[in-house]
Amino acid sequence: MNELEIMIETHDLRRTFGTKEAVAGISFTARHGEIFGLLGPNGAGKTTTIRMLTGQIDPTSGHAIVAGCDVVKDHTRLKERIGVVFEEQNLYERLSARNNLRFSCWLYGLPESRVDEVLQLVHLRDRAKDPVRAYSNGMKQRLMIARALLHRPPMLFLDEPSKGLDPISAREVRQAIQHLCQEGTTILLTTHLMEEADQLCRRVAFIVNGHIVANDTPRNLKLSHGQKAMTVILDQPEQGQNGNAPLSEVTLSLDNPADAERLARLMAQGHVRAIHSREATLEEVFIEVAGISLV
Amino acid sequence: MHPRSILAIARKDALDILLNKTTLSLLLTPIVLALLFLLIANLLGGHTTNALIYDPGRSSVEQVLKSAYPDLKITYANSSGDVAAAFGPDGSHKTTAYALGLAVPAGFDASLSSGGHPRLNFYVDGSQVSNQQSQLLLSALTNTSRGIANPQPPATITVATVNPPSQNALLNINQFYAAAVLMSSLLVGTTLVPGILAEEKEKRTLRMLMVSPASYSDVVAGKLLVGLVYQLLLAALVLLFALLGSFFSVTLGLLLGSFFQTTSSAGAAAGMLSMIYIIPIFFVGTFAQLFGNNPFTTIVKVLPPYYIADGVINALTNQSTTTGTALDVGVVLGCIVLLLLVATWLLRRQAAVVSTI
Repeated sequence: MNELEIMIETHDLRRTFGTKEAVAGISFTARHGEIFGLLGPNGAGKTTTIRMLTGQIDPTSGHAIVAGCDVVKDHTRLKERIGVVFEEQNLYERLSARNNLRFSCWLYGLPESRVDEVLQLVHLRDRAKDPVRAYSNGMKQRLMIARALLHRPPMLFLDEPSKGLDPISAREVRQAIQHLCQEGTTILLTTHLMEEADQLCRRVAFIVNGHIVANDTPRNLKLSHGQKAMTVILDQPEQGQNGNAPLSEVTLSLDNPADAERLARLMAQGHVRAIHSREATLEEVFIEVAGISLV
Repeated sequence: MHPRSILAIARKDALDILLNKTTLSLLLTPIVLALLFLLIANLLGGHTTNALIYDPGRSSVEQVLKSAYPDLKITYANSSGDVAAAFGPDGSHKTTAYALGLAVPAGFDASLSSGGHPRLNFYVDGSQVSNQQSQLLLSALTNTSRGIANPQPPATITVATVNPPSQNALLNINQFYAAAVLMSSLLVGTTLVPGILAEEKEKRTLRMLMVSPASYSDVVAGKLLVGLVYQLLLAALVLLFALLGSFFSVTLGLLLGSFFQTTSSAGAAAGMLSMIYIIPIFFVGTFAQLFGNNPFTTIVKVLPPYYIADGVINALTNQSTTTGTALDVGVVLGCIVLLLLVATWLLRRQAAVVSTI
């Protein structure tokens, strides 16, 4: 496989439950080796999309190809080529981590030696014999990732991988995801944590009410929707104009020649402590594009 | 279906069941019930009858007592005086450990055969042996002695019995207990399997299975396999009906597991449904004669476990007929196939209609 190879291609994919249209005709592509983020608030259609792409439910209409397999016609081959980490922690809690993974080895017909390899990968080898119910949320999440990787799938689906995790566990999970990406695994990630998506994803799509409303790299989205301005933090407060109170920071437009002169003057005087661009955050872009907040 | 997936699911469940205290206790229930029935059987009719016998020549009259009391425990005395001392004189009141006593003189059989009239001392504790039983034993001893003295019967008697009574009550009650134990062992499928299937939905692990090479039918077949293994470990008395009963029980359990979303609701329904295994026992074999034909009997005959119980009791009492067995087997097999199809259909339908699995 090469980076140009398309791992996910959907065309007008729809899914209805009764009269409710959970996914209303989405089309996007994800290429080999990239982390593609599907971002949106709860109930936007992210999980339904993953369920269609992983063959758990059939689309009502449209079509999708995942890792070279038609999600409707080629279920058996598809299951061999994907790994899924679910939103909820669905492990066998009475069984140990080792036995949970052994079960997956039996299902996929893999040698049990593979268990130790993936346990090592997610740093759980020391606790392999403990029942899963004794694990922290972060350890369970890492075990689910290990289970999804057991059969070395080229395509991995992660549904809200950091949900409910403390900051340290979430960071461990993010590091694991980045490591997988470096090894060439293509990842589709759903999340409502914009910061996480910004940090991990090469490209993101915003999904709202079953529709994709934006699809680009985080950088392009932020550039196209942010302000062309900068905030200058000053060492010494500058006297406000028209008798206003002194300012410890000023906002300067990048389009205004007068602001360019002002910045040059401040720097010459040695009053500038820091300069921040006013590039929008991904969350601000989402709110602007979708017209709603994420929570 | 994929044998690899089915075996994997069955292996996992077998391991999980052993780690689950609830399911383990369910598995032990039939064993506890069997012990309970054994205790009841012993209390009702299985107590030991103690006899003190002095019989240096091991006469054949001793056999009379053994035939009358299959559970007879014999203690051999060193002399006829020991037996007399254990019971005391006729009509006296004395606490004794023995229900029966017999003092047979040496050379008793030979003396009878040669026309002699040896003396046989028979002792009875009236608090343990009824007067009627005592008289019957006395007659049996007399007849046996006459038979030894003159082996040729004085007359040939031909017996014709109409409305023959069934085997003695003690044997019937043992058959009932055997059937009850077997039927109660069939509870395992209905009580165990709903939990192991519903738990896959409750804990959302079924979703993991659905993205693995396993299919819905593999899941159902895997549960069927593990349920059968545990079921058959406990129910091996009458193989054919144990197998059919187990299939039925497990498929009924699968249906419950498919229908309910949580282990608690599935468990509650399974508990109520379990009664249908017990009720038919009272409407087959000897017990059926007590109830006769009434509307409730007719209702019970609609329940598939009635046909399992009927097959079991007929097999145990050697009263099976080709037609009866075919009917029992046919009804149970038909129900098994139907329940399996409905269980698989329900799982598919739930997955297609709602996003709860």
